[in-house]
Amino acid sequence: MLWKRQIPILIATVIGLLTLFGWFIDNPGIESFVNDDATQWFDILASFAIFLGALNLMKLQGKKVLKQHSGWQYSLFAIGGFIFAIVAGFIYKGNDAVSWGFHVTSKGTLFKWMFDFIFTPLSATMFALLAFFVASASYRAFRVRNLEATLLLVSGIIIMVGRVPLGSSISSWFIMYLLVLVGSIAANIKLQDKIITFGVLLGGVVIVTIWGSLAGWPVDQPSIFYLPMLQDWIYNNPNVAGARAIMIGIGLGIFATSIRYILGVEKSYIGE
Amino acid sequence: MMKYIIELILSIGKVDRRWIFLVIGLAVLLPLFFPLGLPIRATNATQRVYDAVEELEPNSKVLVSFEYGPSTKPEIHPMAIAILRHLFTNSQKVYVTCLWPDGQFMAEDALTEIAEEEYGLTYGEDYVLLGFRPGNEAVVKGLVSNIRKLYTTDARGTLVDQIPMMANVNKVKDFDFIFSASAGYPGTIEWVQYAADPTGVPMSTGTTSIQVNDVMPYVQSGQVKGILAGMPGAAEYEALIGSPGIGTSGMDAQSIAHLVIVLFIVFGNITYFIETQRAKKY
Repeated sequence: MLWKRQIPILIATVIGLLTLFGWFIDNPGIESFVNDDATQWFDILASFAIFLGALNLMKLQGKKVLKQHSGWQYSLFAIGGFIFAIVAGFIYKGNDAVSWGFHVTSKGTLFKWMFDFIFTPLSATMFALLAFFVASASYRAFRVRNLEATLLLVSGIIIMVGRVPLGSSISSWFIMYLLVLVGSIAANIKLQDKIITFGVLLGGVVIVTIWGSLAGWPVDQPSIFYLPMLQDWIYNNPNVAGARAIMIGIGLGIFATSIRYILGVEKSYIGE
Repeated sequence: MMKYIIELILSIGKVDRRWIFLVIGLAVLLPLFFPLGLPIRATNATQRVYDAVEELEPNSKVLVSFEYGPSTKPEIHPMAIAILRHLFTNSQKVYVTCLWPDGQFMAEDALTEIAEEEYGLTYGEDYVLLGFRPGNEAVVKGLVSNIRKLYTTDARGTLVDQIPMMANVNKVKDFDFIFSASAGYPGTIEWVQYAADPTGVPMSTGTTSIQVNDVMPYVQSGQVKGILAGMPGAAEYEALIGSPGIGTSGMDAQSIAHLVIVLFIVFGNITYFIETQRAKKY
């Protein structure tokens, strides 16, 4: 129990305190430990973690094949891919002119071939499929159900169109005409009166047309209706406000968790 | 007449998703074959990156970090290429590191294309690829305290001490500028928190569109000098340096694809509205 519980907790507490106080104590030894040694320890541990991860992957996939769980055929590809990568990385270079280690990124080697012609196209394909799923999902899920959903929908559309060159070609006057149309539809739904609807539509069109004629129809004026400006505003204001709130929340969460680790309250890393 | 229009809209609203996939596929493919040449206007964030690079004196030491892989290559690689082009045009010395293992492949590709083939520069004198080291933010911290402890050799096996341009370069503070081409963790945020902020070395970044939300607070506070946001950011930067590339050619396709998605959303909502009204009625 001492080796499995108390000593690991003691190590975590001491190292945690040392790292924390390293920022506040002006001592070259502690500073060197925090900045150099601790980070190198981390590098070494991370390298060993890769071995553990690989072994775990093989264990899980192998078990799936042996017990023929559903989708076990896919596991064959995972195991085959892993073995192929091991061969290309440690056993067969494919280009004797290149030394071991540097063969991974050098031209004419099996590993580089695997990266260029298997890994790269597969990764790019997986990511590219997102475009299709985003289109299908947004078509079905993006609905004007309530005020929050409407805000999300409108800002989403402004970002999508405003971010691309097409958005900068759309005149702010076109957006204003569009708003007049939407306004008259809203008036019709709410009041169910054809005369009022026609009045809103006609009044809006006349105001926008006179205003545009006087201003000379500049594409990006008034900027409040110009999509690239609107998307900039959304990015810089509501978005940054939300992002900052999330960051502060995460920061406080990390602080609280770190304190729990240092005090030995959080013991998930020893399996408790 | 109105009845037919409504029925048509409703039938579009029930369209099989395979048709949506087909339309999106065409919307992406066709502009790639038949470019529209839509005008590209640089946003303020992109302009700030350009200005920050432009303000550097010739022969400044610039650390460029590659934190992306093949999946995000279409978004990040064009901006990495554009940044390298801008730096080499202005005669800067470029030092490349990678926090992602596949970032080293991306860096090799970009340096071969730009530094070797386009500019004919000398490795070790004008640019160097230090390569990938595991450890995420620990690598950034290591670079801040002592590069030579972390990198004894570069990505090509040459001892760092034997590389001419590595003379007098021992830690992040020795650089004049940092640029992070990042697609996630570890990336821009780690460079800000562990390198740029503690050392005061100015930095800029290029990220995927989806990451912009997370990085924007640092841009607004001035900790990051501008941001190249996704493929549009790359296209805008290409326009600023006057060298249209992959980013620019992809913008027509992205514009049309975004427009098609918006139209689908609008149609979906009209259908939803009609169905809701009908349900209320009966």
